[in-house]
Amino acid sequence: MENIIEVKSLQKMFANQTALEDVNFHVRKGEIFGFLGPSGSGKTTTIKILTDQLFPTDGIANVFGVPSIMLRKKGYRKKFGVLTDNSGLYERLTVYDNLKLYCQLYDVSFKRITEVLAMVNLQPEQKIVVSKLSRGMLQRVMLARTFLHEPELLFLDEPTSSLDPVNSKHIHDGLRQLNAKGTTIFLTTHDMNEAELLCHRVAFLNKGKVQLLDEPQKLRRKFSDSTMTVELTDGRKIILHNDLEGSKELYTYMSTGQMASIYSNEPTLGDIFVEVTGRKLV
Amino acid sequence: MTFSLKRVVAIFEKDIKDLSKNMFVLTSMLMPLPLAILFGSVSKEPSIQMHYLVINMAFALVAAFVQCALIAEEKEKNTLRGLMLSPASTFEILSGKSLLSIVLTVITIVISALLTGYHPANFFIVALAIFISIFFYIALGTLLGLLTKSIMEASVITLPVMLLFGLGSFLQALTAEYPQLSFVEYLPNIQLELLATEVQNGVGITDVWSQLAVIAVWVVSACILVVVTYKKRAIDE
Ligand SMILES: Nc1ncnc2c1ncn2[C@@H]1O[C@H](COP(=O)(O)OP(=O)(O)O)[C@@H](O)[C@H]1O
Ligand SMILES: [Mg+2]
Repeated sequence: MENIIEVKSLQKMFANQTALEDVNFHVRKGEIFGFLGPSGSGKTTTIKILTDQLFPTDGIANVFGVPSIMLRKKGYRKKFGVLTDNSGLYERLTVYDNLKLYCQLYDVSFKRITEVLAMVNLQPEQKIVVSKLSRGMLQRVMLARTFLHEPELLFLDEPTSSLDPVNSKHIHDGLRQLNAKGTTIFLTTHDMNEAELLCHRVAFLNKGKVQLLDEPQKLRRKFSDSTMTVELTDGRKIILHNDLEGSKELYTYMSTGQMASIYSNEPTLGDIFVEVTGRKLV
Repeated sequence: MTFSLKRVVAIFEKDIKDLSKNMFVLTSMLMPLPLAILFGSVSKEPSIQMHYLVINMAFALVAAFVQCALIAEEKEKNTLRGLMLSPASTFEILSGKSLLSIVLTVITIVISALLTGYHPANFFIVALAIFISIFFYIALGTLLGLLTKSIMEASVITLPVMLLFGLGSFLQALTAEYPQLSFVEYLPNIQLELLATEVQNGVGITDVWSQLAVIAVWVVSACILVVVTYKKRAIDE
């Protein structure tokens, strides 16, 4: 499958520091790609470079097969949507009127407003003035705005960072729905759980480089020590290895009715991140 | 590149909706009116200087200052970024963002002229010159709005600029004493007042070409500066 984003040897220096040193990855058309890293690791910087809001210092950042600087050409504007920390809404206007303006700018029918508001669980609030919304609601309106025009590619910078679990889940469902209809999603987060639930592939960004890139499940297997934990009815926890010895022990516990529970000790993405980078997320 | 009037109107429509709740803009817009009422009542036939003191105030407060505040607010609230990333072109965004201030300036000047009782000897020439001048002040306001980070900063920065471009004959009086300030006579506000005085003395359009041309040069230069600054602002530092 062709790549919708290609990043090679990407470097970004700010006046006194290097934000991105040597970043390499590609995003395939149709996938949900998670770009993970602790704050300050350069996630937002990468999104800004990819959406023509920031110039790279060096390296290649191609989107739709052209350098991202070409996205300023009119033909590309309707092909992508973006949410970053510098997205804003008109505070004195209603939710509906904010989205209406964007329908007009993107040549989208006003009917679409109700659809996107339903996707972010905000339909009842459409007549409310934006200044009266909570932070989470604001984020959801901005999110709705990014896919108003059903873009081919969506850049989302920490889309659920100020949402409660119920609304996060709602957003996740909405994003999966968009993805199923063909939208490629490039998503940054420092929430490993979110990445695991949503992303087909994830990249770990740390110290200006992509440290690891793969499917979450493959990563978990790769970093797994192949042990299982058995919880016995008396409360003891036994660690079993995935071998003949282990299977014998397991047979004993199962046949004598001592086993209460069993689970694999595969690491979470968070565990793997700490192992690879020696650094905690957040 | 195709020009879409629909996008321009969409931005204008949004600004109109916003205006009714924007006390800051509404009060700035009303400020020249008390002065107009005062001049209109104290003198049966106010001088050209009086008329243009009011008109310049409308230029400075409504065209430049309101425009500056509207642009600065789009920047401060991060809404300009959304417009920049949309399919709207630079020209569409800047036109859409200027329409409200242009309309408000025209309204304020018409009301002021009615209040001060200004009857130009040649309505067409004066209306044309004022209309061209409006574009200079709109461009000036846009430029200052793009250069500042917040509405507060914009209010501070516009003050000296407004004194320079907002005052008429006072500045000219200064040049008599300080010859090194003679460049002042080429300011668009001075040229406009000069034109208005000559028109009142009965000259036709062929005699005021030079003033119109000077004002037009200011408009074009300001617009170029706006576009260059805007393009720079599209990319973060
Ligand atoms: N405009 C800027 N000027 C200077 N330094 C910046 C700028 N933007 C980001 N940085 C720095 O670059 C690094 C990466 O920032 P960012 O991309 O925002 O990280 P993240 O989104 O992963 O939290 C940080 O150290 C940050 O301080
Ligand atoms: Mg960030």
